[in-house]
Amino acid sequence: MSVNAPRPTSSTASQPAQERGALSIANLNKNFIIGGEQRRILEDINLTVRPGEFVSIVGASGCGKSTLLRLIVGLDADYQGDVRLDGQRISTTSLDRGIVFQDHRLFPWMTLEQNVELALLNTDTPKERRRQIVADHIALVNLSGFEKAYPHQLSGGMAQRAAIARALVTEPKLLLLDEPLGALDALTRVHVQNEIQRIWMAQQSSMVMVTHDVEEALYLGDRVVVMSPNPGRIRRIVEVDLPHPRDRRSPLLHRLKDEILAELTSGASEEPTNLVHLQQRSQA
Amino acid sequence: MTRPIARPPVRILLGLVAPVLLLLWWQAAADSTGSAVLAAPSAVTREALALLRDGSLLDDALATLGRAFTGLLIGAPLGIAAGIAMGIWRPLDRVLGPLLHGLRQVPMIGWLPLVGLWFGAGEGAELIVVSLSAFFPAMLNSHAGVAQVEKRYIEVGRIYGFGTLQRIRFILLPAAMPLVLTGLTQSLAFAWIATIGAEILTGAGGGLGVTIQLAQVQQRLDIMLVAIAVTALLGFAINQIFQRLRRRLLRWQPSSL
Repeated sequence: MSVNAPRPTSSTASQPAQERGALSIANLNKNFIIGGEQRRILEDINLTVRPGEFVSIVGASGCGKSTLLRLIVGLDADYQGDVRLDGQRISTTSLDRGIVFQDHRLFPWMTLEQNVELALLNTDTPKERRRQIVADHIALVNLSGFEKAYPHQLSGGMAQRAAIARALVTEPKLLLLDEPLGALDALTRVHVQNEIQRIWMAQQSSMVMVTHDVEEALYLGDRVVVMSPNPGRIRRIVEVDLPHPRDRRSPLLHRLKDEILAELTSGASEEPTNLVHLQQRSQA
Repeated sequence: MTRPIARPPVRILLGLVAPVLLLLWWQAAADSTGSAVLAAPSAVTREALALLRDGSLLDDALATLGRAFTGLLIGAPLGIAAGIAMGIWRPLDRVLGPLLHGLRQVPMIGWLPLVGLWFGAGEGAELIVVSLSAFFPAMLNSHAGVAQVEKRYIEVGRIYGFGTLQRIRFILLPAAMPLVLTGLTQSLAFAWIATIGAEILTGAGGGLGVTIQLAQVQQRLDIMLVAIAVTALLGFAINQIFQRLRRRLLRWQPSSL
């Protein structure tokens, strides 16, 4: 059970027999064929995400963390080992799992409202309720009033929040966030981090976020998975024993940040440029 | 938008500079060379008014417009449908692509004698050539539009469990729309050119091209220039109207010009 369980999720999870949003990854390996050669991208990944838990994954670029999310969401089913959500092996996409990409991927030819509603296309939500649900989720990400805006009329932060609304509208058991704030400026990033924390506390669904930014990973995650590249492996899993909402100035967060950065840079000989980049980013 | 040169009244005025200069030069040239080589603008205007009054100019314009749009309405939808089908379903592209790319190398006017032999050098032949002219640009651009849809949008469709028809309707078609409309713009221009060309060559059924051809036989430079001017003005107007429509349809684009 989660060490820090201020939210009702953990307690209610024991009542219904069915699990909601429990992810288990066992002995996962993933190869790509690059230039005719097999290259191992992910090696021996073992990880479980408890229902309602927020897990952050950090690592230098090239450590396979985005590939890992693509496997979990089901866009790529070509892997060895086991990836299961609530016991079901993942082999394709499903409305149980939502994802927010670094590029918001809103359809530019649709308004914000239409984009969010389109996610409900293949759900059994009654037509007459959709409008309300869409409005609720747009309100959840603080975008009420922008329903009729086209994506190019939204700022980067707004578009990313809209993408979060679209991902949440189907009420997925598990939400995956693939560097969702990577393209935003530092100030907007802090703002959207707070939003994500608030939304996660309200939604009570499991979330897995991949990021470059150690500070962000620690601020949001119940646990932080530290990965190393070539091939991508889990190096360490750090428990962040602090209740949400968190205080950015917490000494624990700062101590853990230093630890993780030291951990990441100790293997600097492998890929020095990426790690320097990572350090700069997280200090921003 | 803020630059004065982009404001509509200024833009229109600037656009009129070259035509007005051309008119002045034309009048001066006509005065010095005589009407057998170049009819003066004043004479052409007089003739235009006469042709307007007896209704023949309107009849010609309507006949040409009718022919161009009938051809466009046959050729462009078929081209869009063929292009999209080939873009979505690769085997069809493999089978039909090379043939169509080969055929499109033949200028549309090149088909006219053959089509004339088969169907008689009349209205039918004209319409076939106009339809073919409208078909190819629509097909090529629609094909490119569908084939170039970004994979990241297709993935969003997969995430939300889209079936084939949903993918076509909500992703492929709207994403291809800018290029489909580019194709349609070209179809419009090609259909217009082919209509005038076919009319001049077959001389069938009336129209601005037929009038140009008859005026040549009768050595009526004034009539010829009236028909040419009307052809240019109508073509310009049709294109303007279509561009406005296109901008409206693509208002979701950051700058849809």
